[in-house]
Amino acid sequence: MKDRLTREEVLHVADLARIEITEEELEEYQLKLKDLLDQVEKINEINDHDSNNLIAPWQNNAEYRQDIEEEMLDPKEVLKNVPAKSGNYIEVPVVINE
Amino acid sequence: MNNYIETIGIEVHVELKTNTKIFSPSKNGYGMMANSLTNVIDLGYPGTLPTINYGVIETAIKACHVLHCNIRKKMHFDRKNYFYPDNPKNYQITQARTPIGYNGYVEIEVNGKPKKIEIEEIHIEEDTCKSAHRGDVTLLDFNRAGVPLIEIVSKACISNSKEAMLYLEKLKELLFYADISDCKMEEGSMRCDANVSLRRNIDDPLGTKCEIKNIGSISNVGIAIEKEIERQAKLLDNNETFKEQTRRFDDKLNNTVLMRVKETGNDYRYFPEPDIPYLELTETEINKAIQTLPMLAEERKEKYMSRGVSLLNANKIIANRSLSDYLNEFLDTDMNFSTAINLLLGDISFYLNREEKTITDTCLTKEKMLDLVAKLDNNTLSSKNLKEIIDDILKSNKTIEEIMKEKNITNITDIYVLKEIVSKVISNNLESVEDYKAGKDRALKYLMGQIMKETKGSANPKLVNEILIEELNNNC
Amino acid sequence: MSKYLDLEITEIHELLKTKKITPIDLVDECFERIEKNKDLNAFITLNKEAAYQKARQLEQEEIKGMLYGLPIAIKDNIITKDLRTTAASKMLENFIPIYDADVIEKINKNQMIIIGKANMDEFAMGSSNQTSYFKPCKNPWNKALVPGGSSGGSAAIVSSRITPFALGSDTGGSIRQPSSFCGIVGLKPTYGRVSRYGLIAFASSLDQIGPMTRNVYENALLLNIICGKSKNDLTSFETNEDFTRLIGKDISKMKIAIPKFYVNDAIDQEIKDKLETVIKLLEKAGCSIDYIDIKYIDKAVTLYQIIAMGEASSNLARFDGIRYGYRYDHPKNINDLYLKTRRYGFGNEVKRRIMIGSYLLSGKNATTYYNKALEIRDDMRNSFLEVFNEYDLIIGPTTTTKAYPLGKDLDDAVKAFMDDILTIPVNMAGLPGLNLPIGFSNDHLPIGMQIIGSCFQEAKIYQLASFIEKSLNLDLNPNKGDKNE
Repeated sequence: MKDRLTREEVLHVADLARIEITEEELEEYQLKLKDLLDQVEKINEINDHDSNNLIAPWQNNAEYRQDIEEEMLDPKEVLKNVPAKSGNYIEVPVVINE
Repeated sequence: MNNYIETIGIEVHVELKTNTKIFSPSKNGYGMMANSLTNVIDLGYPGTLPTINYGVIETAIKACHVLHCNIRKKMHFDRKNYFYPDNPKNYQITQARTPIGYNGYVEIEVNGKPKKIEIEEIHIEEDTCKSAHRGDVTLLDFNRAGVPLIEIVSKACISNSKEAMLYLEKLKELLFYADISDCKMEEGSMRCDANVSLRRNIDDPLGTKCEIKNIGSISNVGIAIEKEIERQAKLLDNNETFKEQTRRFDDKLNNTVLMRVKETGNDYRYFPEPDIPYLELTETEINKAIQTLPMLAEERKEKYMSRGVSLLNANKIIANRSLSDYLNEFLDTDMNFSTAINLLLGDISFYLNREEKTITDTCLTKEKMLDLVAKLDNNTLSSKNLKEIIDDILKSNKTIEEIMKEKNITNITDIYVLKEIVSKVISNNLESVEDYKAGKDRALKYLMGQIMKETKGSANPKLVNEILIEELNNNC
Repeated sequence: MSKYLDLEITEIHELLKTKKITPIDLVDECFERIEKNKDLNAFITLNKEAAYQKARQLEQEEIKGMLYGLPIAIKDNIITKDLRTTAASKMLENFIPIYDADVIEKINKNQMIIIGKANMDEFAMGSSNQTSYFKPCKNPWNKALVPGGSSGGSAAIVSSRITPFALGSDTGGSIRQPSSFCGIVGLKPTYGRVSRYGLIAFASSLDQIGPMTRNVYENALLLNIICGKSKNDLTSFETNEDFTRLIGKDISKMKIAIPKFYVNDAIDQEIKDKLETVIKLLEKAGCSIDYIDIKYIDKAVTLYQIIAMGEASSNLARFDGIRYGYRYDHPKNINDLYLKTRRYGFGNEVKRRIMIGSYLLSGKNATTYYNKALEIRDDMRNSFLEVFNEYDLIIGPTTTTKAYPLGKDLDDAVKAFMDDILTIPVNMAGLPGLNLPIGFSNDHLPIGMQIIGSCFQEAKIYQLASFIEKSLNLDLNPNKGDKNE
């Protein structure tokens, strides 16, 4: 059994998480994520459980909101914390239209 | 080119017509100032949580009903995780595992035969924000972020581009008439993706699939599918293989263009949304939603035709929702629907188009409409005179009688009165009578004109014509 | 110098009611104490100006309840309008929220005065306060030690008597463990008891906001005002009760359970000894005590890693430098903006947990591990609930160790969660759990016990806790004999 994840596997995870990692971190994650996986693997030994999903310990079903408009933000408020803006818009580097 | 069997599946995103967004009480609106229809939830602010708009659930139930889907009573939402600037939380709340509707269909007519286009599922999700590309920057407007959507996924059972278009047209009509969505493709409230694959024999497994994203109109869906089939067939003819890919339709090139090749399926890391407990729909809620559905197009058509309207005219009036809604108010009256539809599609539509108004903006009350149709039917108002006064009828609160009096229009339908006038005109124009006898058609028209002149156009022309011919023949 | 803030709440309330003091006197004293305890590094942001303004405004108002005019510290992952909220991260270093968390509205409505935002582990990820971007907070009992985490600042503030009240949040033990290390009372309420709207989410199905106080009674008072259903949080629950109502009531018939897992070898002997003292005390008072098993409780940490890290990786995806927060200055393109903003904006522990969570949800892992974890979690919760069919409460230690030195190895992702093996199961099951100080180690550091109740049984927890508190009658002020004199 392999003792570490491949570089590609780690890079894929870093890409999913959109976190740039250094070469050093990459090597660290190759081992660390594998260790973790080995530990997590143990839950597969459990087979005597009832198979109900507990998404969250809710005590209730969802209650609905009536379809009635409530107060919204002034565009000025929207832009208050925005690092880059242009007019009323929030700005980002161009997104190549996929 | 070899013959191939085409397999097409279509995914349609439809924005729901609700007052507010799906997970926040911000207004669900279009064409407003950028970033003016948002709150902290729509912007994905730290600490915010979603709530569920019942209007969305109700509308989705209606959609399931009109598309003949089973309705799932217990469901939850899932998170679809991906980074994109138009995705404020960088996850989209959707229904990956428990779509509200499943196993439905839409019935279309192909070459006079009915065909069911099967629907795999309908799920509820939130829309992304709108981005505009300007040079080296992209500008984001979050007004659309969180607008409720349903995605309608057909099975891969569509055989060609024509069926695809018929399916979309039918879908649009159904959703529009059920008040589920505006279905304005030009405003993006209805968006289509088509999946196309080819195979040689019916027993072969499905061929490699290409997805064409976000096609802007139904006719372009047809063209895009045709072009894609052509493209794939050429490749297959040359024994070339290709990878599963996403393409878009470029309407300038009039062809599909590669966007990206799917190397390994997208890794969306779906998991159940922990911020929203299970939704459990009751039978009462479902029935209540269905009961508030307006009359659908099919039923309207049947009703109109049972009142003597032609198929052509029935279709025409259904194509105009507000006129059809208006007409429906007369279903419990004995109004002549043929006359009414001719009137609505003719002079009234002409006025509405010119004035850029809808029928509800006019002064044509229910009583006035009934009166108008009756007057046209019993010849108290000629269609010629109608043209003169239609603007007044629609613009003013006066009765038709009043308007006719004002314009000095009296439609003389009293046969004795008319006969008298006809005799007078004949005795004053004996030359023309001779001409008539000599077989000159012109003479008849001349005499008609003289009569109309005499009556200042208020005589009923049909009656005058009949009386005149009778009198001339008597004179012989 | 005044020492009003060392008095019981009932006494302070009397002074305020009879106008012997005003809220401003309390605010004055708070800021004096903050100044004296500066080296604790317990606050990230102070709310001085607004606190005085609120104190002045309160003088004009009618007294509505017990908490009128009392100062409170707020953990810095709870959103406060117009008051910087950082979650102890560079990512939100300059973030000024434009709305209030539900609990903050309640705090304001109940006439409390917000003194400042408490230090914590970055995004509540850590058990020692050492992952804070604003440097670690220190333990008031010994400044070379950690205060615990992630609500370390809140615990240190209450422990050092700067404010009598603080709000913390608890995802895997983040209220109870620092409460134990600092010798205060901290409750993680039942999941759904307190609205999470405005709590910067770490793991949505586990997070709860809870009260951190000097004693049991004051804890119940604070819970009284922060609980309840909110229209903003679908997972919140309506309850209408006075949590102080069972305090002082007879406990002699109580049936108490101790999970065998809670007396395992990983737990320091000193801690087990103190718990034993309490057990004897309870037996003497007439309680019955049994050792029981809870299914999969030993797997709770593993389940926690899967579920909490998975949810966290998704919850923290919104920090991308676009709508708020830190943004990398000169990105080459949109992807570079994401990669660098998140590389430089998050600290190492946060990045590690996001990586773990992303990995455990990616590809087939989601179905193999995540769904399975949800299933086992359900079983564990049911096993807890079965215990509560027979027993009133569960007790055990809160932590395996007492407070440890600052600078202890942070780097082991797996071992880090071992701090929380006794607290995590409570979050997994959505139950309420409280830390109660029950004594001191040989080197005079606080030791705590945990009292766990069934869903919505906080009042019963307080009932037992107040009995033990009264019987032990500990002196829990770390400043005794020194600087606050």
